Amino acid sequence: MAAASSSDSDGGRAESSEANSKWLDAHYDPMANIHTFSSCLALADLHGDGEYKLVVGDLGPGGQQPLLKVLKGPTVLRENPLPALPAAAACFLMEQHEPRTPAIALASGPCVYVYKNLRPYFKFSLPQLPPNPLEQDLWNQAKEDRIDHLTLKEMLEGIREKAEVPLSVQSLRFLQLELSEMEAFVNQHKSKAIKRQTVITTMSTLKKNLADEDAVSCLVLGTENKELLVLDPEAFTILAKMSLPSVPAFLEVSGQFDVEFRLTAACRNGNIYILRRDSKHPKYCIELSAQPVGLVRVHKILVVGSTQESLHGFTHKGKKLWTVQMPAAILTMNLLEQRSRGLQAVMAGLANGEVRIYRDKALLNIIRAPDAVTSLCFGRYGREDNTLIMTTRGGGLIIKILKRTAVFVEGTGEMGPPQAQAMKLNVPRKTRLYVDQTLREREAGTAMHRTFQTDLYLLRLRAARAYVQALESSLSPMSTTAREPLKLHAVVQGLGPTFKLTLHLQNTSTARPVLGLQVCFLYNEALYALPRAFFKVPLLVPGLSYPLETFVESLSTKGISDMIKVLVLREGQSIPLLSAHINMPVSEGLAAA
Amino acid sequence: MRTRPGLPTSPPRTHGRTYKIQFPAESAESQKSRQKKAPEFPILEKQNWLIHLYYVQKDYEACKAVIKEQLQETQGLCEYAIYVQALIFRLEGNIQESLELFQTCAILSPQCADNLKQVARSLFLLGKHKAATEVYNEAARLNKKDWEICHNLGVCYIYLKQFNKAQDQLHSALQLNRHDLTYIMLGKIHLLEGNLDKAIEIYKKAVEFSPENTELLTTLGLLYLQLGIYQKAFEHLGNALTYDPTNYKAILAAGSMMQTHGDFDVALTKYRVAACAVPESPPLWNNIGMCFFGKKKYVAAISCLKRANYLAPFDWKILYNLGLVHLTMQQYASAFHFLSAAINFQPKMGELYMLLAVALTNLEDIENAKRAYMEAVRLDKCNPLVNLNYAVLMYNQGEKKGALAQYQEMEKKINFLKDNSSLEFDPEMIEMAQKLGAALQVGEALVWTKPVKDPKAKPRSSSTSKPVTCPQPLGSNQALGRAMSSAAAYRKLPAGTGGTQLTKPPSLPLEPEPTVVASPAEASEEIREK
Repeated sequence: MAAASSSDSDGGRAESSEANSKWLDAHYDPMANIHTFSSCLALADLHGDGEYKLVVGDLGPGGQQPLLKVLKGPTVLRENPLPALPAAAACFLMEQHEPRTPAIALASGPCVYVYKNLRPYFKFSLPQLPPNPLEQDLWNQAKEDRIDHLTLKEMLEGIREKAEVPLSVQSLRFLQLELSEMEAFVNQHKSKAIKRQTVITTMSTLKKNLADEDAVSCLVLGTENKELLVLDPEAFTILAKMSLPSVPAFLEVSGQFDVEFRLTAACRNGNIYILRRDSKHPKYCIELSAQPVGLVRVHKILVVGSTQESLHGFTHKGKKLWTVQMPAAILTMNLLEQRSRGLQAVMAGLANGEVRIYRDKALLNIIRAPDAVTSLCFGRYGREDNTLIMTTRGGGLIIKILKRTAVFVEGTGEMGPPQAQAMKLNVPRKTRLYVDQTLREREAGTAMHRTFQTDLYLLRLRAARAYVQALESSLSPMSTTAREPLKLHAVVQGLGPTFKLTLHLQNTSTARPVLGLQVCFLYNEALYALPRAFFKVPLLVPGLSYPLETFVESLSTKGISDMIKVLVLREGQSIPLLSAHINMPVSEGLAAA
Repeated sequence: MRTRPGLPTSPPRTHGRTYKIQFPAESAESQKSRQKKAPEFPILEKQNWLIHLYYVQKDYEACKAVIKEQLQETQGLCEYAIYVQALIFRLEGNIQESLELFQTCAILSPQCADNLKQVARSLFLLGKHKAATEVYNEAARLNKKDWEICHNLGVCYIYLKQFNKAQDQLHSALQLNRHDLTYIMLGKIHLLEGNLDKAIEIYKKAVEFSPENTELLTTLGLLYLQLGIYQKAFEHLGNALTYDPTNYKAILAAGSMMQTHGDFDVALTKYRVAACAVPESPPLWNNIGMCFFGKKKYVAAISCLKRANYLAPFDWKILYNLGLVHLTMQQYASAFHFLSAAINFQPKMGELYMLLAVALTNLEDIENAKRAYMEAVRLDKCNPLVNLNYAVLMYNQGEKKGALAQYQEMEKKINFLKDNSSLEFDPEMIEMAQKLGAALQVGEALVWTKPVKDPKAKPRSSSTSKPVTCPQPLGSNQALGRAMSSAAAYRKLPAGTGGTQLTKPPSLPLEPEPTVVASPAEASEEIREK
């Protein structure tokens, strides 16, 4: 693996040597098989030996094999299977005792699994939600067989329509059943207490009472039933509970629980809610008008990435500060903190494979990764202070180290006029011929104009004559007279010598039916034979297309074809209403014979 | 195989997995007791977070896979999975399918305003605005404080042409929460009603609220441009360009302003950026063409204009410019075709008939030229050049009376313009008018106070005076050509751009500046060079 990684990283360096000069390529493994998100990455000194490890809540390929992975350097130190997909991972100190080894917390489904020394230590489950009392009552009645199934169904549907508290899964499933299945279902489930369980959607940590880096921290959970919970680090009891108007998707925490803290939750309804200590409900609200894809706090500014391919900066009171447009969709975001230089910046992984680093609006650096980066994490790894860990959509792992000499300067990214300004305009060239013609026009413009006008008048005259002639002899396939608005078109099918001729006759008037029409075929009797050269047309209902079929036999043996004229006549009138000329195809049947 | 605790289909595997971890809570005892009892139900919302995450990352394939799995597991009960599936359908353009799924969601949880909002949105996208407003109103009953409902209701009312209701809804949306989009929509209503001042008012507020929104800045700039407040227009367009130097609309508008001031080279460099971003834009190529025209590169100008015409064959402004350039090139037969095509698309503009008349005069079709002039005089209300050119033609035909009448008409228009605007008159026009005045013996009636003070006027009039030899046949072809091309410069001032929509960048620089006017002799040199 080492050989492969070095050659790969060489390729990457050559590609964008200048932009990457701030970074050392420590490791690249495209086949690391890590599929995860930024929220499932954490760095921690798990053994208290100063060697920082990477904790990964891995979804596994296709989200099928959830694993807890602990990496030391480029190698996997430990792998534990997980019962369900991990939503978030965090490392936190549970108590003050020495040695100070942080615990790993993995949020998955309704539980938080806590590991100490890489061993399972505790499982915290979210408390059951209170069921709807009416629903509870109904099932109790069912248990004692005091209610029949149809009534039960009706009552439950009534609750679903109106009640604030949603139904349990059991009731919802029951409502889907056919009549025949109800009995068995009720008998199987009636003795069970109805349950409503929620799941964890996001997790973060909050310092308990000290701001130090190695202080005891509480876990903060966001749940599917629109609540935020703060857990006690030792007893795992719920210290505080806050409700939100929507389901939290990303969480950002600052402050200390016992002093003052601020929780910022980006929610599924596209809003960001800011809560403070002592507030049970959101204090400020930011409406994004798009979905947030990441939430990072840089000093006092909240940076939000939205699905509209942009980063927005907000104050901690929700006032909009700035917006930066990205060249591609944002996949993930995280904080870059270089303590030695006091730098805090935002990293954003984009769908085009770039990782962009911004301080406020200013672009500091672009890293071009070989694949779209889906998770980012920056911090101390191994014994190196400034390490950037990235995983890609294809499951690759990239580790880069920030050079100790590297200084981020604003304006190294895109600045000045756009590149396109230097490009030449693509003006179409003109040929010598064009120039010659121009000169000719200049000399003889008047004559050209006159000739043209004369020809134009002649053309118009001829067109008008032809039109009048067509109208006079009813040659057109459309008749627009007030009494008989008709449309005709004909189709010839077959190879010969027998053809099928289908006339589609349509009455285009809106309401009046047409009666008393006749169709007559005119043809050369030496070449063709028709069973009926003349027949009556039935009553034509407005709007419908009537197919009138007739067979045509070609008599010629020499492969000659001729025209057949179709005339539509009104009874008692010799002038046709309309006519069609059908060019018959050459009979191929004879040619073959 | 993924583990699914409590799923009826695969209980043994589930237990095997959970055993491995051996958490204190998951004791073997509790598992045994569970086996005997009825199977547990899966938690419906178990993977909602994952669905949402894939959705916002726009990884729709992965998202659909999780949704499918989740729906199988919950037998179609997971509302959020259906919801996101419907959103994805909508993004893929299957609006009808998305509507049906959202309706399913609304059945699963009828108290949720969000589902109704999405149903309404899909209806809206299907063009059923009436039905959409009904559903939105229902949603508004469930959630009274949602700006999105108000905003979308407002947009629906716009499409239903109920502007008052739309304004009410949009204003209440602004009260709930301010969003750029709402401002844009409100501005649009005012524009649809033709109320520019109110629209500017709204956009001003919007720019105050979000000063970096380039769309707002550009629109405001364009509105100022329409009203002729050039200073402010340029300011806002410039701001838009500092935030987004590749903003196509702003580039076009700012470029057109530079062109009117004769900064053709600066305008061209700006257009290069736009040409990279939107290489097939007819107004852009039109403007580039007129830049070259201003720089007296006529062949290039014709090339660019012809490309613009190819891209937008029904745009009369491009045809107008083509006619103008061909007149300058003395290609009168071609000019006639372009101008008559332009008249077919825009039969209500006096200047077009005047240009056509000039072309016809040069094609020695005096009769038709006169008829064109008559039409031009009938349609035009404020351009003195129409009358001047007509007067010159009549004078040359020996109809002194008619010429005098037109001359007086022209004087009226000039006096009106002098009173009402600070516009400078083209020195060539003045010169021609003075000559005609002398020839008609009306003399000094007109006082060209403003233009004469213009320092630029003198050198130019001296340089271009050579072809016309007064008092002899007044208004030779060349003089006419010049007077005519400067005519276009006037058009933008009082005529106003009635037809131009706001959304579309204006192809304003139709009008070449007076400086552009070149004598045909130079033009032919240009050709020889190439």
